[in-house]
Amino acid sequence: MLRGVSGSVSLRFSAQVPVLDANVGVGHRHHRPSPFDSPAELIEEMERHGVARALVHHQMGETLSAVTANELLPKWCDGNPALLQQWMVSAEPDSLAQLQFAHADGVVSSVRLHDCAAVGERFTEWLYGDVLAWLQQERIPLWLSIAEDWDRTWLSRVAGIPADEVLTTLAGFPDLRVVIVGAHYSHWAAVRPLLNRLPSCVLELSRYEVLGDVTRLVGTYGAARFIYGSFYPRYAMGPILFYLHHLGLAEADLAQICATGAEELLSR
Amino acid sequence: MIDGNPVIDFHGHPGRWGDSVNSPERVLPAMDAVGIDKAVLFNIWHPEGTRANDDTVALIAQAPDRFMGFAYVSPLMPEGMVAELERAVDQLGLVGIKLYPPFTNIKLNERPWFPIYEFANARRLPLLWHTGIEPENWPCYVGDVAPHFPDARFVCGHSGNCPPMREMAIEVARANENVFLETCSTFRTPGAIEELVNGAGADRVLFGSDIPLMDPRPQLGKILTADIDDDAKRLIIGQNALRLLDRG
Repeated sequence: MLRGVSGSVSLRFSAQVPVLDANVGVGHRHHRPSPFDSPAELIEEMERHGVARALVHHQMGETLSAVTANELLPKWCDGNPALLQQWMVSAEPDSLAQLQFAHADGVVSSVRLHDCAAVGERFTEWLYGDVLAWLQQERIPLWLSIAEDWDRTWLSRVAGIPADEVLTTLAGFPDLRVVIVGAHYSHWAAVRPLLNRLPSCVLELSRYEVLGDVTRLVGTYGAARFIYGSFYPRYAMGPILFYLHHLGLAEADLAQICATGAEELLSR
Repeated sequence: MIDGNPVIDFHGHPGRWGDSVNSPERVLPAMDAVGIDKAVLFNIWHPEGTRANDDTVALIAQAPDRFMGFAYVSPLMPEGMVAELERAVDQLGLVGIKLYPPFTNIKLNERPWFPIYEFANARRLPLLWHTGIEPENWPCYVGDVAPHFPDARFVCGHSGNCPPMREMAIEVARANENVFLETCSTFRTPGAIEELVNGAGADRVLFGSDIPLMDPRPQLGKILTADIDDDAKRLIIGQNALRLLDRG
């Protein structure tokens, strides 16, 4: 049993359970270069925190082109076994076809939706229904970010997908496994309704800093509804991992959140 | 304590904002879990200051060995501003000042704030501003003010928050010995703490969490997982705060 008591805190931290970071972006965004540019640099940062593997998408797909991101990702990862490749999908006309072609080759284990709100699109059935239906049919889990986006200057922001759109649209795909990424303290009122009404959804915890709430949520819904992601390089890799290690969780629950949950999603 | 080192959280709020509720029952378990000894609290919801400061003192009274407080006033109600500061510091025992320019539409380098700065300067008090992208509180305005009140210790809350404002806050701290940088922020960008330490010096950086708006554990985790040496961590998590709160 790991306990986050003060006696266990040290000036130096490294994970005490196996960790799979379920939210890492690689490559440069068109308006914001990444602080690293090679698998070796990313692996070095992961090792500094005790992270063994990372689920990575190419950041080019967040707001520019999912199709291009999927073309760039394998080259960027260069076959590194610690980097698990996540495909992206968007409303681009050839995006779904690209996924279906790759899936026929057996290389698609998860898909992340582009940041539709950041590019002015709504998360609606009439726009994304075909993609969602296909993912549900093929039992491929979807990562869906509800985080806001910032412009080049960091002086203005675009709000993320409203919780109402998430609920309304996903209600039509009850068997689709969805990882909701980037919930923030400003989402505190929406988190429980999302978990209650979407029993197939999992909450990724990279930005969820509501005081004591992760402990309460795990107590209510069980550890299987939550996974660790850092959202690196948008956010530092270590702080949320440190947080999870100091919640007083049972070791099995900590392990579930830090790696087992993501492994289960990716193995379906 | 962490490895025998004191831990002071320099940024917390009493009062209620949505689900953000500060009570010893909610706050102390999170503080205890990572060895936070004390938290500095200030209530910013009442512009006349009186209710805000009374609320702060009432919360401190529930755990006086774990909390200390800063006074709050606003130039939106200037007539009682200094008198309330005198009451808050001399009678209530609050040990610094917190100001929140975004509520006022008055830039922090404008004259309506100056009686507060004069009060802090005369008593060698720490004064913490919210700093960030809002037009009232760009860190560069701190640089306009700090040289004129050399005995006050000015703290840029959130260190400017987003990356370009953080760069500005570092520049201001480098130019002014009485300017410090506090770390709480939802902008947990990689390298942020390293940037503060390398730019302004570890002796100018203070750990803060924004408790109870945010859980203090990931905010402390920013410091402890940063790529800085242990001596820098010791300064940031507590030693600098103790030095700042010493009015001698």
